[in-house]
Amino acid sequence: MRDEGNLLVGVSSEGERVVLRLDGELDLASVPTLERAVQDATFERTAEIVLDLRGLEFIDSTGLRAILLQDKRSTERGQTFALVRGPEQVQRLMRMTRVDEHLKIIDSPEEILL
Amino acid sequence: MDAVELLVEAGAALAGSLDPRTTMREVAKLTVPRLADLCVIDLLDEDGRINDVAVVAADAKVARGLEALRASSPLDPDGEHPVARVIRSGQPELLAEMADTSLRTFAESSIHAEFMIANNYRSAIVVPLQARGRTLGALSVLRLEPRKPLGAAERPYRQEDLELAAELARRAALAIDNSRLFSDLRRLEQRMEAILSSVAEAITVIDRSGQTIFANQAAADLLGFPTPSDLTGAPPGTIMSRFLVSDEQGDELGLESMPARRLFKGEHPEPLLVRNIVRATGEERWLIVRSSPIADPESERVSYAVNVFENVTEVKRAQLAESFMAEASRVLASSMDYTETLREVARLAVPQIADWCAVDVLGESGEIERVAVHHSDPHKIALAERLDRSYHPAPGDPAGVPEVIRTAEARIYTDIDPDALAAYARDDAHLELLKEIQPTAVIIVPLAAPTRTLGAITLVSSESSRRLTQADLGLAVRLGRRAGTAVENARLYTERTRIAHTLQRALLPESLAEIPGVEIQTLYAAAGELNEVGGDFYDVFDYDEDRTMLVIGDVCGKGPRAAGVTALARHTLRAAAIGGQSPTEMLATLHQALMRQPPGADLCTVCLIALAREEHSARLTIALAGHPPPLLISPAGKVEQVGHSGTVLGVVDPLRIEESEITLAAGETLLLYTDGVIEAGRPNRLLGEEGLLALCAAAPELTLKRFLEHIEGAALQRAEGRLRDDIALLALRVEG
Repeated sequence: MRDEGNLLVGVSSEGERVVLRLDGELDLASVPTLERAVQDATFERTAEIVLDLRGLEFIDSTGLRAILLQDKRSTERGQTFALVRGPEQVQRLMRMTRVDEHLKIIDSPEEILL
Repeated sequence: MDAVELLVEAGAALAGSLDPRTTMREVAKLTVPRLADLCVIDLLDEDGRINDVAVVAADAKVARGLEALRASSPLDPDGEHPVARVIRSGQPELLAEMADTSLRTFAESSIHAEFMIANNYRSAIVVPLQARGRTLGALSVLRLEPRKPLGAAERPYRQEDLELAAELARRAALAIDNSRLFSDLRRLEQRMEAILSSVAEAITVIDRSGQTIFANQAAADLLGFPTPSDLTGAPPGTIMSRFLVSDEQGDELGLESMPARRLFKGEHPEPLLVRNIVRATGEERWLIVRSSPIADPESERVSYAVNVFENVTEVKRAQLAESFMAEASRVLASSMDYTETLREVARLAVPQIADWCAVDVLGESGEIERVAVHHSDPHKIALAERLDRSYHPAPGDPAGVPEVIRTAEARIYTDIDPDALAAYARDDAHLELLKEIQPTAVIIVPLAAPTRTLGAITLVSSESSRRLTQADLGLAVRLGRRAGTAVENARLYTERTRIAHTLQRALLPESLAEIPGVEIQTLYAAAGELNEVGGDFYDVFDYDEDRTMLVIGDVCGKGPRAAGVTALARHTLRAAAIGGQSPTEMLATLHQALMRQPPGADLCTVCLIALAREEHSARLTIALAGHPPPLLISPAGKVEQVGHSGTVLGVVDPLRIEESEITLAAGETLLLYTDGVIEAGRPNRLLGEEGLLALCAAAPELTLKRFLEHIEGAALQRAEGRLRDDIALLALRVEG
């Protein structure tokens, strides 16, 4: 199917932190939506990027790959990258692939990172 | 005087005249001198004035004088003149003897009175002229006699004279009324003709015999006659034969279907839309024919039909073109089998655009191949096939299909005559075949894909002799483009599908290693479209002297890149196993290989199980890298996940893998699966891990093969037949 997926990305920035809130499903179809959102040029110089996964109903391995790619990009730029913990299905995939050990996961977007 | 003779003469005189004034004079002349010295006919006009007079007198001077008087002082309809009285009452008056005093009371003026007295008005009869229950005027007969002593006079009028005058008046009234009606009709007709000549619609009036009795210039133009009188001069039935007339479905219509004919049969026909082709020129028109009856008022029988022809060719053509293109697009989109699709297109074009449609495509080595030909008559199709076999166009031919394919430019040939056919024919036999097809016009358009010409569509007009126009050419060009794109897509799709099948086969092992006493079953279901290569894989191969390696894995993504990574994963794992690495080391090797890939983060999850056969059981070493843990199902149907979670391969460092060991007892079932299974049915009917665990409870009752099909069936049902991701399943059992 050639649909654009079922994902909404809400962007909010506060000082040096940009929060992208993901609502819906992050999968093969909707990954391009997230990719477009994170490639916003202004995010390159910001100090912290947070993906808020609390509204994510589903994630598959391509969604996981997109998150890992952003983590890699942020690391290369010297940015702090963090996830706000998502629902059980999302967290289960993180645990099964053990990327939860690798990524910074916080409980709320207001949490101090540094 | 012979009354009968007079009436016979009157009948003859009145029958011949249709002009009211002439008729009046004829009537008056009959009476003078036999019945009267002076006869006056006064008629009422439409406004009730006594305004029209005919005077005949034995003495012409008297007649002229009275005419002048009537003109200068017309009779007052409400006055005392006997004519006025008779017109009012409808009753005849016999004025046997008129005294000068009474003449004075009748007169409209003193001159009138003097005139009557001077001309010796003596005796008079005034009778009303009545027809169809109406009084038209009055007929007066007078005797003009000098007064003589009583008794010596000429005979004054008597009752019998009045009766004769009344009889004459009845006939005269009818004749005058008829001639008036006729002249009204003539005037009306002239007005109608003036109106009808100026309207744009073609109008004809035909009688019951089919004779056209009226036509306007627009009708003459439409029906191919120089003037309306040429059209009205054409014998009945000869006009229709100039045209090929059919309905919207293309069925030929005869004269009896025409609304006018149906009116005469007493039916009430609806307006009829017809396709009308001029046989002489092949011009095609679409006409709406409406007919209204003109019925005889007495018998109510339809005596005439008025036909109005509305030319709707432009509107109908545009509408047909749109619906044709919509239908063609639907057909083109419906199938990926392009040969079948092109046959459908050929079928669609007949008879709507042409009598024939053929489609030729350019083969891989440049040869021209006929893939479709259509005509509504199968015999004719055979004829075209014979022509194509015997005189197949060669790519280098200067004209026709090869030329259009070479130049990618559409061609239209109209008014094809025998000379043109002879010039095109390669030999006599060819010419004979061409003559049998009898083309009158040909359109050839390229089957145009966005970047190249794939072939050509040929449209031929023959027996319908419908002329092909620039509008048809435009439509055909659109069709050629649409069909060309569809064919290109179908070809690409077929090619992709073939590649996908080939690749998928390469990704999965041709045969699996066999382990004595252990049954292994696998199942692979590709997602959705055939041409998308998925990233699921499995493998079973000899690991070391007494162990077998079972592999299931999933490369993130789809398409060529995922396919490449899948191949890399399978082969890297086999190579690492040959090198004697432990399952954890094998996974690390694959991880390193993936990290060395060009950037793009190729994620891969793998489950490795090294199986060592033991008596009545098997010892399993499980290593997981981001993969869903295998499910161990007890003979009682109890299900548990086995193995420790390990890091997904390809992106994250460091890798954390922990091997675990379990024993698979006889009667137990182990299931390895990829996430396509638990994600099936998303988003509303997700099978999920829980759903899969529930399905596993049935495993002990089923053979391994049936068990895997049971899971696949459930997943497909959840996904309503459209899996979004591949499914790979591998199950094993130790035989007891």
